[in-house]
Amino acid sequence: MIWAVIKVLVQTALLLLLAPLVSGLIKTAKARLQMRRGPGLLQTYRDIHKLLRKDMAIPTTASWLFHATPYVVFLATLLAGLMVPIVAADTPVGLFGGVLAVVYLLGLGRFFLALGGLDTGSSFGGLGASREMTIAALAEPTLMLAVFTVAIGAGSTTLAEMVRVAIGQQWRFLAPSQMLAFAALFLVLIAETGRIPVDNPATHLELTMIHEAMILEYSGPYLALIEWAASIKQLLLMTLLIDVFWPFGLPQVLSPTGFLAGLGWLVAKLALLSGGIVLVETANAKMRLFRVPELMAVAFTLGALALISTFLF
Amino acid sequence: MDILQISEFGERLITLMAAMVLVLQIAMVGQRSLVMNIRLFGAQSFLLGSIAAAIAWYNHAPHIYVAAVMTILVKAILVPILLERLVERIEIQHEIAPIVNVPLSIVISGGLTLVAYVVAESFYRPEAHAASLGHNTLAVAISLFLIGFFMMINRRKALTQVVALLTLENGVFLAAICLTYGMPLIVELGVFFDVLVAVLVLGILVYRIRESFDSMDVSKLRRLRG
Repeated sequence: MIWAVIKVLVQTALLLLLAPLVSGLIKTAKARLQMRRGPGLLQTYRDIHKLLRKDMAIPTTASWLFHATPYVVFLATLLAGLMVPIVAADTPVGLFGGVLAVVYLLGLGRFFLALGGLDTGSSFGGLGASREMTIAALAEPTLMLAVFTVAIGAGSTTLAEMVRVAIGQQWRFLAPSQMLAFAALFLVLIAETGRIPVDNPATHLELTMIHEAMILEYSGPYLALIEWAASIKQLLLMTLLIDVFWPFGLPQVLSPTGFLAGLGWLVAKLALLSGGIVLVETANAKMRLFRVPELMAVAFTLGALALISTFLF
Repeated sequence: MDILQISEFGERLITLMAAMVLVLQIAMVGQRSLVMNIRLFGAQSFLLGSIAAAIAWYNHAPHIYVAAVMTILVKAILVPILLERLVERIEIQHEIAPIVNVPLSIVISGGLTLVAYVVAESFYRPEAHAASLGHNTLAVAISLFLIGFFMMINRRKALTQVVALLTLENGVFLAAICLTYGMPLIVELGVFFDVLVAVLVLGILVYRIRESFDSMDVSKLRRLRG
């Protein structure tokens, strides 16, 4: 019982502390690649700290939804994070349907974010919310197809089981279905975390914003919670990708030595994946909004092919 | 143990590269820029050459190396250069305007891949030797073939149709190399010469169409009817 509590605490602490670091890493690496000095690795922590101490400006039109949204988003994302294997294959919390619950907890967070954006009645909030939901509606089927591809291979939708099977099979990552599912999931990762070909996380132009437009009315601690939740979500999706496709080095159960090894591997793999994201972000320009469905169609087709090829190869 | 000697690894590697060839093909359907399309074709041909080299290595068939080198030289380097020079020379707009819109085209390509797998399934004989390699890559080859045809139908401009034809030819090459583990060298050489000449002739043809009609839209050729 105590052991279970410790596992939950360790994973929560990891999620809370590691997520801003990954965001900072991507920002710094991107700046360096573009020959800028960029913010330091710890800038995201400083931003959250600063926002948490500030006062809030709450729109007069805001209802209770506006106040509830940051907490719902933060807690849903955190709960989803507890169901993903981070440093050990067995997760602290295993609820209904494993990875399906993870996907739809994130969906719950996004739903409330959209409501919060609409709630104040500002035009940018509505615009951002509608765009975010459009992209989410296109990305979600792909995510499910890619997840099912892996789940069929493992014979279970529990993430712990999926990771266990993945560790057991040599050369598995070379299978075409895995490769296609990885490509599809990578595109989903870029769309869901609002990275460059789809959305620009550093934009200051309201008309091109997607995620930022939706949370434009939030300030102070609420904004801090939302930003933190966004970076946890990013860490979560990246870890999901890593768990399912490159699980080597992940210990089966949590133990002090296994923890360090697992953490070391995780950080190394996260750095690698961040490098990939940085390259994609630097090499591409932001797409027009109406071109995004084309990218998502590619992702969807890749996901569908991945699912088909699990039955055929 | 040397990883390069394990035949299971080789088989997986070849299947993986074949899958990537297929992904590049779908990317070409989704890509609007003409120059990018030509470069994707180059990358696809390079992968195809690598597949040929891998087959040569794992089946100890040295004469396929020649086919691999020829593929990379001709299709991955020479043909893309020729086509890009043609694009520069005729100063066309670089955007491809497909008849069916892009997301739908991509989904159709996915459907065609499914058809290809169903077709390849009927050729599958589990008891036959080395069946699995032929089985997987044959399906990819047939999908390249079908998607290549679809791209030709779906595009109006002559030059983009040439690129589609070349990807179709890539599919034929993949099928040939995977099913027979290399045709006689003289046949291979003939095929490469054929491709090169085809590109040159089609290049001149495209140029002439452009000169006479001020457009590469092949539907304009209907005006030739008396």
